[in-house]
Amino acid sequence: MSSAIWRAEPYTVGQVPDRDLAELQRPVRGRVTLAAVFQALATALSVVPAVAVVEIGRRLLAGRHDGLWPIAWLAVGLFAARLLLYAAAGLISHLADAELAVTVRQRLADHLAVLPLHWFAGGVSGRVKTTVQDDVSALHHAVAHARGDLASAVTGPVVIVGYLTWVDWRLALVTVAATAAAQGVRLRMAQRSAEPVGRIAAANAELSAAAIELVQGISVVKAFGQARAPDRFRAAASGYADAHDDAQRVFIRQRALTRATVAPATILLLVTGIGIGLVGLGWTEPVNIVAFALLGLGLFEQLTPIYSARDQRRTAVAAAHRVAALLREPAEPTAEHPRPLPDAVSPGAVLPVELDGVRFGYTEGHEVLHGIDAVLAPGTVTAVVGPSGAGKSTLGLLLARFYDVTQGAIRLGGVDIRELDRAQLYRHIGFLFQDAVLLRQSVRDNIALADPAASDKVVCAAARAAAIHQRIMALPRGYDSVVGEDARLSGGEAQRVSIARTLLADTPILVLDEATAFADPESEAAVQDALAELAAGRTLLVIAHRLHTVVAADQILVLDEGRVVERGRHDELLRENGLYARLWRAQYGDRT
Amino acid sequence: MIGQQRRLTGALAVAPAGLVRRYLLSTAVYAVSEGAAFGLLAPLLSALLAGRTGEAARWLIPLAGCVALGWLAHYDMNLGALRLSSAIRRTLYDRIGAHLVRLPLGWFDGPRAAQVEQLLGRGVGVAVRTVNLAQTLIASVLTPVTIFVFLLVLDWRMALAVLVTAPMVVLVFAAAARLTDRTEAEHDRAAAEASARLVEFAGAQPVLRANGRSQGGRRLLGEALAAQHRAAREEVFGALPGQHLGQLAIQLAFTAVLVVGLLLATGGVLSPAKVIALLVLGVHFLQPFAAVAGAASSLRVSRAAVQRITSVLSTPPLPEPEQPQPIGEPSIELAGVDFGYRSAPVLQDVNLWIPPGSSTALVGVSGAGKTTVTKLVARFFDVRAGAVRIGGVDVRDISSAELERAVSLVFQDVYLFDGSIEDNIRIGAPGATAEQVRAAAYRARVDTIAARLPDGWCSRVGEGGRLLSGGERQRVAIARALVKDAPIVLLDEATSALDGENEAAVHEALAELGHGRTMLIIAHRLTTIANADQIAVLDGGRIVEHGRHAELLAAGGRYARLWAERERAVGWRLSNRSTPGS
Repeated sequence: MSSAIWRAEPYTVGQVPDRDLAELQRPVRGRVTLAAVFQALATALSVVPAVAVVEIGRRLLAGRHDGLWPIAWLAVGLFAARLLLYAAAGLISHLADAELAVTVRQRLADHLAVLPLHWFAGGVSGRVKTTVQDDVSALHHAVAHARGDLASAVTGPVVIVGYLTWVDWRLALVTVAATAAAQGVRLRMAQRSAEPVGRIAAANAELSAAAIELVQGISVVKAFGQARAPDRFRAAASGYADAHDDAQRVFIRQRALTRATVAPATILLLVTGIGIGLVGLGWTEPVNIVAFALLGLGLFEQLTPIYSARDQRRTAVAAAHRVAALLREPAEPTAEHPRPLPDAVSPGAVLPVELDGVRFGYTEGHEVLHGIDAVLAPGTVTAVVGPSGAGKSTLGLLLARFYDVTQGAIRLGGVDIRELDRAQLYRHIGFLFQDAVLLRQSVRDNIALADPAASDKVVCAAARAAAIHQRIMALPRGYDSVVGEDARLSGGEAQRVSIARTLLADTPILVLDEATAFADPESEAAVQDALAELAAGRTLLVIAHRLHTVVAADQILVLDEGRVVERGRHDELLRENGLYARLWRAQYGDRT
Repeated sequence: MIGQQRRLTGALAVAPAGLVRRYLLSTAVYAVSEGAAFGLLAPLLSALLAGRTGEAARWLIPLAGCVALGWLAHYDMNLGALRLSSAIRRTLYDRIGAHLVRLPLGWFDGPRAAQVEQLLGRGVGVAVRTVNLAQTLIASVLTPVTIFVFLLVLDWRMALAVLVTAPMVVLVFAAAARLTDRTEAEHDRAAAEASARLVEFAGAQPVLRANGRSQGGRRLLGEALAAQHRAAREEVFGALPGQHLGQLAIQLAFTAVLVVGLLLATGGVLSPAKVIALLVLGVHFLQPFAAVAGAASSLRVSRAAVQRITSVLSTPPLPEPEQPQPIGEPSIELAGVDFGYRSAPVLQDVNLWIPPGSSTALVGVSGAGKTTVTKLVARFFDVRAGAVRIGGVDVRDISSAELERAVSLVFQDVYLFDGSIEDNIRIGAPGATAEQVRAAAYRARVDTIAARLPDGWCSRVGEGGRLLSGGERQRVAIARALVKDAPIVLLDEATSALDGENEAAVHEALAELGHGRTMLIIAHRLTTIANADQIAVLDGGRIVEHGRHAELLAAGGRYARLWAERERAVGWRLSNRSTPGS
């Protein structure tokens, strides 16, 4: 029912095309590149203090005291410039990232507003939150850091190795060789760690599931007298710890070896040892060793961002793919040239609704409704009854255009509802859903959802008619109380607010679910009163679960396996002694 | 930094002290050996630059010693980190798991449940990171201190130059971190608000479109997203000082060292060779400070996780009686009970006597306190005044194990574990035989559910029991209570609309369960209410009426009105012709 992207991720990790990421980033690409250039320049300037010390030393040792201060101040100035470049790079990229995030989020919100309603069936809120918030946030590294960090990780070592080679190529070779050897070990380790890291992820997933189960089921765990954490949780926790231990233990020797090879102290010993030898042989000047003692030590660490960038990029690519997939979800079809409704014969007159050979299936090849014909004449009550699974609710969903018919048509005033402007349709047909959905805003705004400009008098009148006015006045801030904050309403009270909202929308035709009233048994009668107020004078289509509530209907459609098997008034149907009569007897015995 | 280390012990405190000491020691040795290696570089370079190559070569020996010591310490440190992380991880899971099952059930009500899931899922991992952060922090203190000692011995003037700047570096970091914290918290708040609006927007789509003349919902979301963007921008600016002021301080310190060095050299106070060696030392002294900035933000996150875990672990469980009393006949008594979740009272002076083996229906409008009564009997919470007694014994004098044995709870929103139907029934009595489980299942009409599912009794019910309907879940819960066979049952009857078949099955299952047991039922169905031995009517936290159905109807009070309302609801007919008011 929901879109394909949620059901199966069509790509395995590493194969997700990165087109989506590039595409999403396009609006800020220029700024991100500029930031990366700044960051690369800043990294290059990081060598300034070391170079300054070496060059000042060169002069001092040669006994030259001229030009010392200019070099020192130049170094201080360049170092300050480096800081400015870093700050500018950070600001530019992070502001670009923030702007991109809000742009993408607003685009996603706009797109959600035009997705077909059935897309939202089955509760997609959590997933929507994940994509719009978490996935967009996951782009952060790709936008704000990836390019700059990569530029730094390349520029830094290039500048350092370049300078060191210029100072002394033999020592530079030694430094690079030590770093490269350690890198080799690191690469091999990274390849071999994929499997244990996968095991940790799997153990982690099981632990999360066990934790949710422990907490959600805590009352059961306790009520049935288990004095310790359930076995599944304990097993998952120790499994997770084991996975971690195994992954670490495998590499502890190699890691220790690599780290030892490239530890600053080790490189220090290496370059000074060999350096002293070279000086002894007269192949190099003593001051050159200073350059290596300052710059040769951090080479290994400078390459680290390349490794973390790869993982973070993978995350960003996958996130971008999910964001783009949501944006690619087809919007609900809209009529290209919406047809106007025929002018009503007299103002306030109600248009008829006609179901003409309506066929529908949620998935291809599985038809749920097989040709329904019916007319909702203005001012009449039509009830839809039948055993569960007969397709009653589906019929309501089609009228609300959650789905469109696969064959046949639903017409309002003779016009196919698919050719109508949606706003037009919803001005004529209102819906009262089984679950009352209130927004976290004032009670007043909730009632006036269809017409925010409605006067206080109109809002109060709707609330009075829905028998909820007094309850609202008893709230801390009356109609200004915010739902979920200072307006805490019971199920039945929320239902009555939503009835007041539907009253205010004042559509001549109404689709409602009779089970609405039973959500809160203690206030069932109050909700029923409100429903009666809402029904007055309207054309109704009622999805009925309890037959007695619709005995007064003008027309009862008895649905079975997607077909109308009987139709008529209550007493006619009882006389026919068919499915309706059987259902009635099952619920009420021989009462009539 | 001292304060940070004190807070760090939070996570380390749960590990064996010996392991922690050994780990901290090897970490310290490694940090000092690094510092000493840099320190030794000064006399080595000094000799080398002055042309005394032989003397420089001799300094290689202690340098090599430091390096070797560093290797050993580093290896030991990694091994220690591995053992410590593992020990902390295991201990925290054990303790939290064991502690959660001892906490009063009332503690889990509301948003806490989700927080605890987070804590168990990711929180522990984040807390464990403390171990590695300790390395960075110890290194960032001990390595510079060691270098400083060398600097002091070699030349007090250069030492003074760095000493003046070092505290400034620390102060700037601390101030910047506070600013970052503030803007970060504001951003988190704005993001949470936007997420909530988003979930609302997606969930309310049908309603929003059916009332589509306005853009109400989209506007609320749009505003929340814009606020999130503003907060994100502010965070960018707020983090700026944190990222760069520290660097600026380090640069100023470097400038000071450079200037002092040059003055000493040009003034002829120190030989050029020595000045250069000291400058190298100065640069190395300042380097570790840059690492502190990176560690600081990770540390904040870990510290918050440790605090959350500590607050869970330090939540006191309901006190156990020192001398637990055995329960006699399974009667329930509430005597002068006052209770409230916060300051406002929910129950006031509630008195109720339920004889052993009888059934009592609690009725009243939502919010009257029905659920609270059952929660007090199961001791989710303790009363503020008065007493709840089972079998004549105050529940506070009954051991929690005994109380749990005596009482079965059948909730409205039943949680089933993701296992088979049989597993879920067996939770009622882990020692039950297959026959006992099966028998309970038949009596609760669970057999028809098993027959419907593809793998019969072995079918998995999905996370939380999602693959079953509400009525089916309640039947499984009733089977659980049957197999547990506790003398007292607290039941919250399902309110959801049940189809005919389920309605009948739940009804029969309840009749089985009620047989010979003391039942306290939050009743919604008229037949359940009318059949109870006793009805207690709750209104505004007080029991306003109690008695048998016929007596209460005859009395013509609150119950009679409630009943008339419900009768009216049952006889309701939907029509569009007239309204009751007109």
